[in-house]
Amino acid sequence: MMSSRRLLREAKVAWAIGVKDIRIYYASPPSLMFGILFPFSMFLSFVIGRNMPFAHAIPILIAQTLFFASSSIGPITIPLERRMQTFDRFLSAPVSLWTVLLGKTFAGFIYGIGISVIPIVIGAVFFGSQVSDPLALVVGMILSAFAFAAMGIMFASLPGQGPGQIMMPFNFVRIPLLFISGVFIPIKDLPYWGQTASMFSPLTHTIELVRAGLGGENFFGPLINVSVLTIYFTVFVFVGIRFHIINQKRE
Amino acid sequence: MNNIITTQNLTKYYGSLLAVDHISMNIEEGEIFGFLGPNGAGKTTTIRMLVGLTTPNEGTATIKGYDIQKDIVKVKSCVGVVPETSNLYNELTVWENLRFMSGMYHVPRNERDHRITSLLKTFGLADRARAKFGGLSKGLKRRATIAAALIHRPDILFLDEPTSGLDVMSARSLRQFLKDLRETGVTVFLTTHYIEEADLLCDRIAIIVKGQIIAMDTPNNLKANVHGTSIIEVVFTSPVKTLNLEELQAYGSIEVKDNTLRIQVTDVLKSLKAVTRFADDHGLKVVYMNTVKPSLEDAFVKLTGVESEVMLMEKERRGGGA
Repeated sequence: MMSSRRLLREAKVAWAIGVKDIRIYYASPPSLMFGILFPFSMFLSFVIGRNMPFAHAIPILIAQTLFFASSSIGPITIPLERRMQTFDRFLSAPVSLWTVLLGKTFAGFIYGIGISVIPIVIGAVFFGSQVSDPLALVVGMILSAFAFAAMGIMFASLPGQGPGQIMMPFNFVRIPLLFISGVFIPIKDLPYWGQTASMFSPLTHTIELVRAGLGGENFFGPLINVSVLTIYFTVFVFVGIRFHIINQKRE
Repeated sequence: MNNIITTQNLTKYYGSLLAVDHISMNIEEGEIFGFLGPNGAGKTTTIRMLVGLTTPNEGTATIKGYDIQKDIVKVKSCVGVVPETSNLYNELTVWENLRFMSGMYHVPRNERDHRITSLLKTFGLADRARAKFGGLSKGLKRRATIAAALIHRPDILFLDEPTSGLDVMSARSLRQFLKDLRETGVTVFLTTHYIEEADLLCDRIAIIVKGQIIAMDTPNNLKANVHGTSIIEVVFTSPVKTLNLEELQAYGSIEVKDNTLRIQVTDVLKSLKAVTRFADDHGLKVVYMNTVKPSLEDAFVKLTGVESEVMLMEKERRGGGA
């Protein structure tokens, strides 16, 4: 069992790793492309020309930016650091792999939250969207940002010496999720198998909680949304760390 | 002297490739220990196992009494690591890099600035503290990387090819620094492909080939290994490469470079006569002739069968360095 003193020391190191990642990678071209440009352009290509009030689309934009921004930091920082061999610095320091990956998850979390505040502000200022259930919105955003950041860390364990090599297979998973998560078609309009599939997508529960926060309808209910996101966060963290340990043994 | 590093049958496989083959060694506290060997011999892999960057498949090792598999966090607390590539963050300044590393190694907050200032002064980096690491020259990057490895005052410093890619002056001052560090009681474990450097710097050397330690001793004892042989070095006025050297090969192994001939012989007098006869027969004029004692390089070549120049060229081709 880890002592509380050691726990505090590890937490401080995780914080330092997160802050360092924020300083170095937030404004890097891959972060801007995969974390900001990608979700915003996908959103615009989806809403422009459709007969849909922009205010109704704001929860989709918030969820999409949370999803893409939070999950992009791990697959950008870890392969870059592997290539520059700075990742070895963490591995040769007296800290656990848990701490290193926690720091990186934290950097993804802050990035996702920071970027998704932009559509909230845009929605409130220009389209009159109002927060009717702040708890659902805040819990949804926090849980989703952690879950997606951990998802990114898990994919970053794939062998590859550059972000592109991780992003390619990662997008094969991320983009199809958009089709079953109530982004393009509301969940209630999906066939039964589609509704079942959407239940297993973490993005579904982000959209549901954000919608509930902004006064929209919720298909599965907040309890299921929170439970599924918590389970996904836990699974992504544990599987991610396992994969990174396997990688280390191979190296 | 106490053994600060001990390995027993330490082994590493990469798939079916045996990279490190059951190596056992003891390294004493306060010594400079050199790992010398050609590329792919297993030098870096051994360091990576000892500092917890990769896991051994078989065998055990302890550092300061801590098992490298069971107590890896404690092991990491007492070692500093300088990899072959100077791997601090290009985007951060030298000061910020050292500050970040002091956090990683749990240096008390109230001591951090003092330690950083002192290390920057020691390594002649005080005026570059606010410069971005990515903008430094190779030599300065190397110094900053070593400074970062010393931020937590480790008992053991591991250096992988510390002077690779450095200019003569930087390499020289680095070697002097490592000697000074030994005086403070720090144990230094380094890998190098510069045989002369190992000779000048190390208290003991292990020669590793194909994952196995084939010799481990002081540089003087390794040189004595080629005892009973002498080297005749002859410089002619014209190149000898194209000539038939068969008659000289009977006296020992021959090395030719432009106008210079080196023969490793057991009977100096007989061989000298043969060389003068060879010069007369081919109309060559001798500029210089000397007999020399075998160097560490000769010992290395005898033990490994690998010419040091071949080793260096191979290293350059693979692009090692800071």
